[in-house]
Amino acid sequence: MAGLKLPGKKGMTSNKKVLPFLNPKMIYIPLYDSNEILVKEGDNVFKGEIIAYKGGNFKLPIFSSVSGKVTGFTDMLTTKGHSRTVIIENNGLEKIKAKPTIRKDLSKITKEDFISIIKNAGIIGMGGAGFPTYAKYDTESKINTLIINAAECEPYITADYVLIKEKIEDILETIDAILEINNIKEAVIAIKSKHKSLINKVQEYMGSYLKIRIALLPDKYPMGWERTLIKEVTGLTYDKLPIEKGIVVNNISTIYAISGALKFDKPLIERIVTFTGDGLNKPKNVLVKVGTKVTDVFEELGIKKDALVIAGGPMMGKVVDDSLVVTPDLNNVLVFKKYKECKDVNCLRCGKCANVCPAYLVPVMIKDNIDNVEKLKELHPEKCIGCGLCSYVCPSKINVRDYIDKAKQILKERK
Amino acid sequence: MGPFIKSKNSTARMMINVVIALIPIILFSFYKNGVVLFLNGYTSFLGMFYPLLFILVGAFSSFTFEIVYELLFVKSEEKLIDVIRGTYAFMPGLFLSLVLPINTPIYLVVLGAFFATIVGKMIFGGFGNNIFNPALIGALFILSAYSLVITNNGGYLNKMEIDTISSATPLSNYSVIEGIGTYDEVVKPYGGLQNLFLGFIPGSVGETSSLLCIIAFIFLTATETIKWRITASYVSVVFIISLIIGLFSGTVTWFPLFQLLTGGLLFGAVFMATDPVTSPVTKVGQVLYGIGLGIITVACRFLTNYPEGVLTSILTMNMFVFILDKIGVKSKLDFKKCITPFIVMLIFMVVVTLTSYNKLTKVDLTDPNYEILSTSKVGSKVTYIVTEKGYSSLIKLSITIDNGKVVEGKLLDQNDSFFQRVIDADFINTLVSSNNIKDVDTVSGATISSTAVKKAFINTVNDYNNEGYKKYMGKEVKEEKDFVINSKKEENDKTIYNVTVKSFGGTMNLDITYSKKITDIIIGDHTDNYIFKLTEADFINTVINNQDNLDIDTVSGATISSKAVLNAVKGVLIETGDINEG
Repeated sequence: MAGLKLPGKKGMTSNKKVLPFLNPKMIYIPLYDSNEILVKEGDNVFKGEIIAYKGGNFKLPIFSSVSGKVTGFTDMLTTKGHSRTVIIENNGLEKIKAKPTIRKDLSKITKEDFISIIKNAGIIGMGGAGFPTYAKYDTESKINTLIINAAECEPYITADYVLIKEKIEDILETIDAILEINNIKEAVIAIKSKHKSLINKVQEYMGSYLKIRIALLPDKYPMGWERTLIKEVTGLTYDKLPIEKGIVVNNISTIYAISGALKFDKPLIERIVTFTGDGLNKPKNVLVKVGTKVTDVFEELGIKKDALVIAGGPMMGKVVDDSLVVTPDLNNVLVFKKYKECKDVNCLRCGKCANVCPAYLVPVMIKDNIDNVEKLKELHPEKCIGCGLCSYVCPSKINVRDYIDKAKQILKERK
Repeated sequence: MGPFIKSKNSTARMMINVVIALIPIILFSFYKNGVVLFLNGYTSFLGMFYPLLFILVGAFSSFTFEIVYELLFVKSEEKLIDVIRGTYAFMPGLFLSLVLPINTPIYLVVLGAFFATIVGKMIFGGFGNNIFNPALIGALFILSAYSLVITNNGGYLNKMEIDTISSATPLSNYSVIEGIGTYDEVVKPYGGLQNLFLGFIPGSVGETSSLLCIIAFIFLTATETIKWRITASYVSVVFIISLIIGLFSGTVTWFPLFQLLTGGLLFGAVFMATDPVTSPVTKVGQVLYGIGLGIITVACRFLTNYPEGVLTSILTMNMFVFILDKIGVKSKLDFKKCITPFIVMLIFMVVVTLTSYNKLTKVDLTDPNYEILSTSKVGSKVTYIVTEKGYSSLIKLSITIDNGKVVEGKLLDQNDSFFQRVIDADFINTLVSSNNIKDVDTVSGATISSTAVKKAFINTVNDYNNEGYKKYMGKEVKEEKDFVINSKKEENDKTIYNVTVKSFGGTMNLDITYSKKITDIIIGDHTDNYIFKLTEADFINTVINNQDNLDIDTVSGATISSKAVLNAVKGVLIETGDINEG
């Protein structure tokens, strides 16, 4: 089994209370590739009001996360790169358009309703991928197993950890409802075996849910990658999508978002984001609204001078500037006080990058053949998931992943 | 950019680990080749530190050569100090000094380090780009081009071992033993398997202690420094093949262990074969690489005259690394892809095992080191001029057999380091006078030389018994007639006889002038390489002056040629009636 145990670094935030930060002055809602924008400057919007639809195949709705007034449009940064955003001045009233729906017996919901509810609530994968969740259930294939991904395998991040700690009842209730509605045989909560107290917590509440069980994961990165997770939990491998083997994987934060959608038609407009790293005075998990500028949160937590800000975890995250805004797929903001890139030396050909690669690639050879397109094809850089372990493990401190990214690019251009 | 955390491991850390693993080995060499010698009075106090100096010179030389090369030819944009930090320039020379014999002259260590660094590493583009193991490139050059220099300087034995151990390295000793050998022949001269294990045996500077190599292996594997799969598969294959041979030949306890504990196998498998730069990066590639190393090593040891095999196998497999990695890449994505290569390796293993078993268990009568240069027959006596490979040179012998019994043996030429011991022991005459040559004990302290002489005798007797000598006769000379008068020319009172006699390597043609007595002898056409010795010894004039009594000493080193001249003179004198036939 490839992969590697990484230093967890989770203690910085895991035992602190979640800080609600729900009332920023300004909100910047990313529009991505939307070509269907429903608001214009000067419009008043309610909290949870649809202000645009995403483009592409899925056309998910985009909501305002506050009530207030549209003051314009501007470019901001998201986990997926630069995006045009709608600027909304928050009036702090949290006004919603209609009385909220309240569904008490979730198991009475039909599958069709379930799919449209989570689609209309704009639920997407909150572990980082951002794939529309309804699409996973909207399938002709029989679903046998629902795997709840609570691996949270990157160091520093504890957003899922604290969510389980605080919301396990809602989560279990929702999982049970999803099983009923979709006629799924069982659900498996996959959680790292080292989180003993968390496992106890889940077990405490799990008693009456006969179809839900826990699967213990080894403390390895990238355990949360779908392929690795499914292999570890079920022993199965698949070609393109997990549904081939009757499996659906949801992140535990996504399940919580589904919970809100099923019970109250609550759209996905807020989430817990871990703000951590030695560049922050008070690292914490923060409950924030989608569209919040992270610098607003920094003001609350205190940030050191000349710090380096990374959106995401230390392995897969990217360096960002002040214009980063919260999106549903942002789980972590990592701030380093001082960051000095290690100097690289010549490759030793020790083969460690090949040993750890969870996608079974040989990164060193991709690096060696970066100028040889024919050879690159045989080395399949496109299978790389960007986990960064090759760069992490390299004793020569070479940023091996950069070469793989370049190789991906080269092959893409050749097609 | 990113990831933003990096493992604590570093290239420098790995190199330090290798050096840490080498420290006990270097200290052991210091003890075995220095301290022990000093304590037993074989060297001075300062001489005790020679092994350390030897190793330091190696490391320092390659370090210096690399820096000089960097300064002269590589216009690196980096600061020199950073280049030095990142290239581990001392490594090739350090390893080189550990795989050379302690008696390698120090200037050859420097030369070897030059080869290792420049040819083995820098011309490929420096650290990380070389195909072949740099240290072994240096060692190959020194050991093949200067083997005689090293051997004459004492070879693999340190000063004390020359005195106390009866032979060369265990594997050189093994290579001259017929068949699979016995414990008494193979292991006992070195004091038993425990000595092989601990390392108190002759061998190169750093490779003798198997125990320390095993400790190093455990340390380097635990710290994830080396590609342990290579070591494991390499050693396993050597063990499995020799175990099978041992099982079928009834030598099971010592034979496989002897193979593992000798010839620097463990040192090579732990340190040299795992050199990261020149070995595969994929796991499957590494296992296949190790298997290949094992097969080639065994093949070298059992099927060729080259006893060691570790160096050869590593340099050979270095060439296949890219193919093995190609297989490795494919099998990572689809494990079935490596089945065929493994089956191919298995077939190779079976073939090598079977051939080796056959070769080792059937005593082969044709000795490749034995060569008959010429034979000659005088009466019933057949004289062979033969060579046999000795310790460091060809030993040339003249062996005369009469009616199936060796009646005379003479040393013609040799250049072996310890041959004086063979002469002192009067070994050749012991062989001549013994009833059964095979039972004669070899000479302690010159096992290989004396074994070679003994083999030459055995092979010659075998050849005589098969009447093989007939085909080596130079010119067809009728058996009974080894003296023929071709012509007789009379001039005034002189008669010039043109005669042919049998001589070394064939025949000799002479013009002998007779005028009441022999007045002149001119040697004409001949097949003889040693005529010059006759000239040097003024043999012709001695013969002319002493023709009344032809009981003259022959010239040493040209016995047969001298006898030929005497025979010719005798023949002419019989013809003229001065002496009687017989």
